[in-house]
Amino acid sequence: MMPGLVQILLFQGLGELVTHFFLPLIPGPVVGLMLLIGFLALRKSVNAPLDEVAMVFSRHFGLLFVPAAVGVVMFWPHLKAHAVAIGAALLVSVVLTVAATALVLKGLSRGPGK
Amino acid sequence: MNTQTTPAFPNIHEIWVYLSGSPLLALVLTLGAYQLGVIVYERANRHPLANPVLIAIVLVAATITLIDMPYSKYFEGAQFVHFLLGTATVSLGVPIYKGLGAMRGRILPLLAALLAGGLTSIVSAVGTARLLGADSAIAGGFIAKSVTAPIAMGIAERIGVSPTLTAVFAVSTGILGAVLARYVLDLVRSREWWQRGFAIGVAAHGLGTSRAFSVNPEAGAYSSLAMGLHGVLGAVLIPMGFRILGPWF
Repeated sequence: MMPGLVQILLFQGLGELVTHFFLPLIPGPVVGLMLLIGFLALRKSVNAPLDEVAMVFSRHFGLLFVPAAVGVVMFWPHLKAHAVAIGAALLVSVVLTVAATALVLKGLSRGPGK
Repeated sequence: MNTQTTPAFPNIHEIWVYLSGSPLLALVLTLGAYQLGVIVYERANRHPLANPVLIAIVLVAATITLIDMPYSKYFEGAQFVHFLLGTATVSLGVPIYKGLGAMRGRILPLLAALLAGGLTSIVSAVGTARLLGADSAIAGGFIAKSVTAPIAMGIAERIGVSPTLTAVFAVSTGILGAVLARYVLDLVRSREWWQRGFAIGVAAHGLGTSRAFSVNPEAGAYSSLAMGLHGVLGAVLIPMGFRILGPWF
């Protein structure tokens, strides 16, 4: 597990460096993620320790955004005042997003290619 | 012998001051609440409404409100968990790389659908919120909410909207998507598993993906591919788009 964690931290660090000096608009970890994909594409395989760490993270991803999301307590009065707008926005956009994506896929894959 | 200097039972108040001053309390609270959430989720047969993250957020928020702990104090301790978010984001590269093979021969429809879905998500959420009177602080939280939460929060930081609201809206979106997607997909007569999975992944990221996996493995694979692509493209395109269109926002 350790060698996997080291690889990931290395790419995270690289990503932060690239973001800091060249791409200030893109979050550092995402640049690290892209570099990691590039690395894997070159190697053409995922080494076992890396795979193991990725599995552990993906299983407990949700835990990691609890601390930030708890900040919702500071927005509470604000959120309550706009509860209807927020609920409607979430509902409308989930339904429309699923529908739009599915319809475009259906429309485009009916062609001769597929 | 100075046996009298240390009382057998230190004042409970002192213990409290000691505990709330160290990161331990916030860490135990966060991990304990999440563990409780996972137990409830398992008991509820992994129903999307019993989402462990949502349960953990509610429990922790209620607890720190009850014991009068300021959020900044809580975060001081919980930041050690928070830090790993970036590391976990990088590790998403592994499942994305593994999923890329599934794109072969379908790259164009998949990318077009992703762009359509991503744009629809932003425009419909921000538009609806604005129409119904929400201010720009709240509407801003909707911009990245269909992107997987860790990346969404990174995007929120870059474009200067609240990462907290973004995370909360992202989790809510994931739950709603996991519950509602099948009905919407039936309504638009989407029949292929790969198409259904991809649509769920674009709209409802991680939570939608675990739902998709529990229904059909092909749907799950395409859902996780959609989540990864949406994360990467969103992180590149949303800040760029926001820089151009920001003044009209």
